[in-house]
Amino acid sequence: MDERALVRQAQSGDFSAFTQLIDAHKGKIYGLARKLTGSEQDAEDIVQDTLLKAIDKIDQFRGESSFGTWLYSIALNESRRHFSKRQRAELQEIEEYLPNKGGHDHTTAQMFDWRDPHQVLEDAEIRRLVDEALEELPDKYREAFILRYLQEMSVKEVAELTKQSVASAKSRILRARLAIRDRLSKSFEVEYDKRLS
Amino acid sequence: MTRGCPEYISDLNDYLDGAIDSSLCAEIEAHIGKCDNCRIMVDTMKQTVKLCREGKPEELPEALTSKLNNLLKARWEQKFGKKE
Repeated sequence: MDERALVRQAQSGDFSAFTQLIDAHKGKIYGLARKLTGSEQDAEDIVQDTLLKAIDKIDQFRGESSFGTWLYSIALNESRRHFSKRQRAELQEIEEYLPNKGGHDHTTAQMFDWRDPHQVLEDAEIRRLVDEALEELPDKYREAFILRYLQEMSVKEVAELTKQSVASAKSRILRARLAIRDRLSKSFEVEYDKRLS
Repeated sequence: MTRGCPEYISDLNDYLDGAIDSSLCAEIEAHIGKCDNCRIMVDTMKQTVKLCREGKPEELPEALTSKLNNLLKARWEQKFGKKE
């Protein structure tokens, strides 16, 4: 049965149609919430609250987006309520991530080349550094990066979900990627020094 | 006029995602061939996404799955009434 037919059945009170609609998304919503909040407990609460809210609002779903996108937008709003209140520094301008902003004198600052971190660090150590780098991002950038690369949404979908223009979503995704790269680079450099010295 | 690294950096995500036209792609590749820092930048940006994607897939904990089934069913019956 196609999605529209399932939605119609669910809206007329068919619980099994509703469970079919959410089955494909429950795990992904948990993964999204887990990454966004960094907490398993928060992620469980978010999945629960998202699905309960989806029941409450099922008759308001008009099919303007896919059912999955609609569920994600509820999940995103629920996740935002759980974001830590810790203030995070704004990210640098894009060009600031280059070692030498002028870009023409490449001899003054050589960028650290990680090559393959798996050859130097344990998987668990890499995981910890990646989680720290994600955790440090300001919420709006973490959201954009996770939706784009971990939930594998298109830039257009990220823009729709976060209620941004495509250009703004693109910029957030790029800045998040640069900031995580920069943070990982600094961490790897320190860890490589410790292990290789 | 040849563009420098700061002009390319804004296009690197689109380049890595395969979302730029072929002439800009060729221009970036030519630049990366000459500029070590931009080569490292591209390579490590690529790895950044790869590393973030690594790890166990996030699966719904079993205890949550059964708790959810009961909770959702109860909320559904509250909204639509109990089906005999």
